Amino acid sequence: MVDSIFLAVSVLTIGSAIAALEIRSLIYGSIALMLTLSGIAGFFLLLDSPFVAMFQLSVYVGAIAVLILFTVMLVRRELIFNKIEDPRRRYAGIGLMIIVMLGIGTIIIGSGLKTMETSVTTVDYRKIGEDFLTYYSPALIVMALILTSSVIGALALARREDVTNEQRTD
Amino acid sequence: MSTIAPEFRLSRFIASLTDIIFWILLIFSIIGLPLVFILLFYIKLPVVNGQLLTPYLAMTWMADPSRTIPIIKSLIHTEFFRIIAFPGFGFAALLAAATIFVERKFLAKIQLRVGPLYCGKIEGILQLMADGLKLMSKEIIIPAKADKPIFWVAPLLFVGTAAALTSLIPVAPGWVAANPNVGLLTVFATIGFFPIITVLSSWSANSKWTFIGGIRALHQMISFEIPLILSLLGIVILTGTLNLTEIVESQQHYWWIVFMPIGAIVFFITIIAELERIPFDLPEAESEIVAGWLTEFSGMMYGLIQLGTYLKLYAFAGLFTVLFLGGWNGPMVWPPFPQEIITNGITIGPITAHIPGLPLFDQEMLNGTLWFVIKTVGVILVILLPRGVFPRIRIDMLLHTGWYTLIGLAFVNIFIALGLLYAGVLGHGGLMQ
Repeated sequence: MVDSIFLAVSVLTIGSAIAALEIRSLIYGSIALMLTLSGIAGFFLLLDSPFVAMFQLSVYVGAIAVLILFTVMLVRRELIFNKIEDPRRRYAGIGLMIIVMLGIGTIIIGSGLKTMETSVTTVDYRKIGEDFLTYYSPALIVMALILTSSVIGALALARREDVTNEQRTD
Repeated sequence: MSTIAPEFRLSRFIASLTDIIFWILLIFSIIGLPLVFILLFYIKLPVVNGQLLTPYLAMTWMADPSRTIPIIKSLIHTEFFRIIAFPGFGFAALLAAATIFVERKFLAKIQLRVGPLYCGKIEGILQLMADGLKLMSKEIIIPAKADKPIFWVAPLLFVGTAAALTSLIPVAPGWVAANPNVGLLTVFATIGFFPIITVLSSWSANSKWTFIGGIRALHQMISFEIPLILSLLGIVILTGTLNLTEIVESQQHYWWIVFMPIGAIVFFITIIAELERIPFDLPEAESEIVAGWLTEFSGMMYGLIQLGTYLKLYAFAGLFTVLFLGGWNGPMVWPPFPQEIITNGITIGPITAHIPGLPLFDQEMLNGTLWFVIKTVGVILVILLPRGVFPRIRIDMLLHTGWYTLIGLAFVNIFIALGLLYAGVLGHGGLMQ
């Protein structure tokens, strides 16, 4: 059962990833990218980590994919892209991909993955939170500082001095 | 009177219906029944209790309540029933459909109009069915230069996402279609799909009205998702769980709206904005951009979008009930099932029928459902209320409200929750464990 779902999710993820690269229409390409990202969320669900899966969905599909769609829709695609039909590039790309995949595959197979313990219980999200506040608390503090500074920076950049509030009648 | 079918007579309509039924029965008895018996000749029928299960015996069993009620009871407790009927799609669609009618009458009463009046004689009670029939019989028009695959699939995706949202709402103790451990995160992930579907459908219709509406919807939904998520973090901090059922169980004594009124207000405003209702209905502003991102939808495609919108309304109202108003918790007002029917059976004249398997639902579940429905309908009415009162606001005011006021208030709410937790009012040794 899990194997068939795994196969289906793999086919969906890889197929839509290829489609995202190959489809000429940018809108359909971004839809395919969305499917890829959802497929990765499916992998996380299969790996018994729904917490990460839901964040994958809400951040990548709910925010980043929307951003990409929004950008694509506001840009006239003829102006920024011109097609370069060159079969040699395609074959070189496929060859490069095969080399990279083979390399990664040999590394993964040689890494002792087959002898790994797979019956580990699911990591509870409460445990993740506990770890964040105890052992990894310096990392949490650094992340919080970075995020706060970036939010303040964004607010400072987005602030417009020239617009007065007199236009508003509320 | 109607100008579309001036020759319409109800008697002729009923006559044609009976005509159709007559022909179906005739054809079935002449052709269908012999075919069934030919098929039965080849099928090996099972033997139950030493008796061959012929169709006649099966029908006899089906008509016997002492045999059917246990079957129905076992059906009720299947996953299928939960998804299709009770806490899932059927229940939500019923409430959503009722909301459409109640909204029209309610707004009419607020604005001293009469609302739907003619269809069904009594206060236009059949208006909804008439609208449904009209939408189903209308032609679906696809714009010539539309992107057809996305345009076709967008209404289905919209309804599907809204139904996925409703499936997460726990209605009664143990009665929920999907109960993931990270339920609240699942809600956030599901809400994130709505802007994508909206903007894709608006782009695919290839019309300027839909595109302007879609871009407005995108702005509005994305910017109000952030205060929506932030306003619920206070509850997560206080309960220490993301599971919606556990959040309801934590409110047995006090509702969270008592401790976090600011969070409740922020959440309420954000759900009005997410639902694109007045005063935040800029994506569908009918006086400026025809019907916004719904402009090009016609027939049942529009009907599906409407169904999805009202399913979403029910889901958000149910979410408000679950998170802030205590869900199914309430005093036990449902009467217990009469004990003598279980022990003595039902006596009608000389016949006494012993029906095993009763009651179908236990008292706790019925009571929980009653309280949940009362609270949810109350929230739905409060969501409908601004439509009769307020005008539409400008988009800069909307974004200003979302980004400055609501996010700030949501942070205030988080600090209130933290203060309550660390001051010992709630949590260990406090009012609630």
